[in-house]
Amino acid sequence: MKNLAKLALAAGAVLFATSAFAEDTFNPTCFVPAGSSKKVISYPKKDPPYKIAFVNGYAGNDWRTTAIQSAKAWAARPENKDKLAEFKVVSVGNDSAAQIAAIDNFIAAGYDGISIIAVNPSAFDAVIKRAERAGTVLVPFDNVLDTDKIVQINEDQHQLGAIKAEAVVDAIQKAKGKVEGKILEVSGLPGNSVDRDNHEGMRSVLDKYPGLSVVQVVGNWDAGTVQKVTADAIATQGPFDGVLVQEGTIGAINAMLNASHPMVPIGGDAGNGARMLISEHKIPGITAAQAPALSAMALTTIVTLLEGNKLPQTVFFPIPQKKNEELVSGTDFYPDLPKSYYTLTGFPGCDKPFTPDELLGQTAENN
Amino acid sequence: MTGMDRRRRRLLLVVVALVVLFAAFILTHPRGFSVYVVTIWANQGVLLALAAIAQFFVVIVRGIDLSIGSIIALTNVAASYLVFGTPGEIAFGIVVVLALGVLCGFLNGLVVVFGRVEPIVATLATGAIYGGIALLWRPIPGGEIDDTLGDLLTYDVNGVPTSLIVLVVVLVAISIPLRRTRIGLSMLAVGSSEQSAFLTGIQVRVAKLVAYSLAGLFGALTALYIAFVTLTGDPAIGPAYTLNSIAAVVLGGVPLTGGVGAPLLAVLGALILKTISSLMFFTGIPPLAQSFFEGLVLAVAIGIGAIDALRSRSKLKVYE
Repeated sequence: MKNLAKLALAAGAVLFATSAFAEDTFNPTCFVPAGSSKKVISYPKKDPPYKIAFVNGYAGNDWRTTAIQSAKAWAARPENKDKLAEFKVVSVGNDSAAQIAAIDNFIAAGYDGISIIAVNPSAFDAVIKRAERAGTVLVPFDNVLDTDKIVQINEDQHQLGAIKAEAVVDAIQKAKGKVEGKILEVSGLPGNSVDRDNHEGMRSVLDKYPGLSVVQVVGNWDAGTVQKVTADAIATQGPFDGVLVQEGTIGAINAMLNASHPMVPIGGDAGNGARMLISEHKIPGITAAQAPALSAMALTTIVTLLEGNKLPQTVFFPIPQKKNEELVSGTDFYPDLPKSYYTLTGFPGCDKPFTPDELLGQTAENN
Repeated sequence: MTGMDRRRRRLLLVVVALVVLFAAFILTHPRGFSVYVVTIWANQGVLLALAAIAQFFVVIVRGIDLSIGSIIALTNVAASYLVFGTPGEIAFGIVVVLALGVLCGFLNGLVVVFGRVEPIVATLATGAIYGGIALLWRPIPGGEIDDTLGDLLTYDVNGVPTSLIVLVVVLVAISIPLRRTRIGLSMLAVGSSEQSAFLTGIQVRVAKLVAYSLAGLFGALTALYIAFVTLTGDPAIGPAYTLNSIAAVVLGGVPLTGGVGAPLLAVLGALILKTISSLMFFTGIPPLAQSFFEGLVLAVAIGIGAIDALRSRSKLKVYE
């Protein structure tokens, strides 16, 4: 670790000397600059305690609920609690004007930092200006904004897709000695950038192997839909040599089990239920996901900035992932917790992951 | 009890409710009473108030407009293509956006008046069309709105929120003609009793067409204000405004049976609804419960209206 830090420091120093924009930023192993990120952003240092709010939009699915729980679990940790004077979570629904008003209210109330999952990527230019004037640190995550004026954090969706595809290709290579066969790709909700980037990431790997053919079905990120479309695909186009799922992997595995389809390599999300089945049936491949704990990292990002540190304008956190054969019951998945539980609760090189007790002790309600 | 008394009592009740809620909002807000806080509140309130006025015009002719959210979405998207550039272009853009709103409302009116389709069905159908066009036109939010004009209309003038000033001007501009002009009184008469109005020689069709067109106009005005707040066009902005505009009208005490009421009541209802939403920021009520509370408020409002109706000896009195 020490060596790594030294190396990073040295690399930082070299870059600093050679390039104008590659300044050394805070903890670059965690706050990794995105390829497109050209700017470094910092704010004047403020002394704690801080007043921080999380302004969520839509609040009606497991991912958002877990994101709210993660934010509250973050605020309950002693090292963060000491730095907080005030911590609020509100969800405003799918109304960009209402989200702007909520942010304005927290700016008016003298909050030091506000994290948001934006309802609309282009509606916040004016409120960004007001936040800047008031010295409020605004950090969007997950659904980010079309702006380079503030620090935004996310995971690289293209890479997320590529990781899954690479693992499946490797597993096929291992099993067959060569990469060929038929892959089932279960994509997400059509018409948005997350779905598109995941899909393109997967194809960027698969397209390198002429021996592979791909069947694509639309799973809408929903386990029930995924199960149905996978069952249909197995019946009409199966059997497959590998399966790739954006979200809702448990549905794909259930469909395979129901159809007595062989347990071929899977690249999927890290839902508790999916990991339980993968471990039980010894399915090769990988699980990786857009972790709801991004909400907690957004708060860490706010504190990092309030403490006067520099960060890249667009941060891509290292994608939390684990090879299927390395999954351990009790640490990577939890047979006694609900199948909908999100197992990946932290990012490598960042804050330590949340334990189930920390998360499930939090309600999803506002405070 | 005379009609005038009941009307005054209702107005007083609504005003007192708004004042109490507003005071509670200011007292729970860490910043307290300040130009910034009141301006945020006013901007939020005015958005719904304009939508409530749109709904009001349809309600007084005993209709209901389920397409208002979609008209708002469509004209908001139009604004994101038209309202920027030179002052001339901006002015032209605003006129086109308002005209588009009037056109949407007028089409609603045509379907209701000449198609003889129930307003609730007619506007549900046209709303789906307007919303669909908005989505086709701009599938994901974006576009550009002149931010100088946006700032001008969403900040304050000497401490008074500009949006509130605009709202007061609009209210005066419509309230007086509604009571003093032939077409205004015709709309109220049609809503009160269509047959009597017809027998009196009132042009029922014209009155209804004007009412629906005015709803479209105010839908477009709402969309413009949303554009000035968000500086963008969003095809998905609509749904919240349809139901909330109806809720605001009822909450202000305008009966859905038509023929009675003033735009001021609809506006006060909208401000009450938005103040209740704003209260939730700092009092800690879960947002998942927000629709439950809005529903509760709605039920109570309708309940009060029903009590009035039950109390009167002659049912005719309710529709004075």
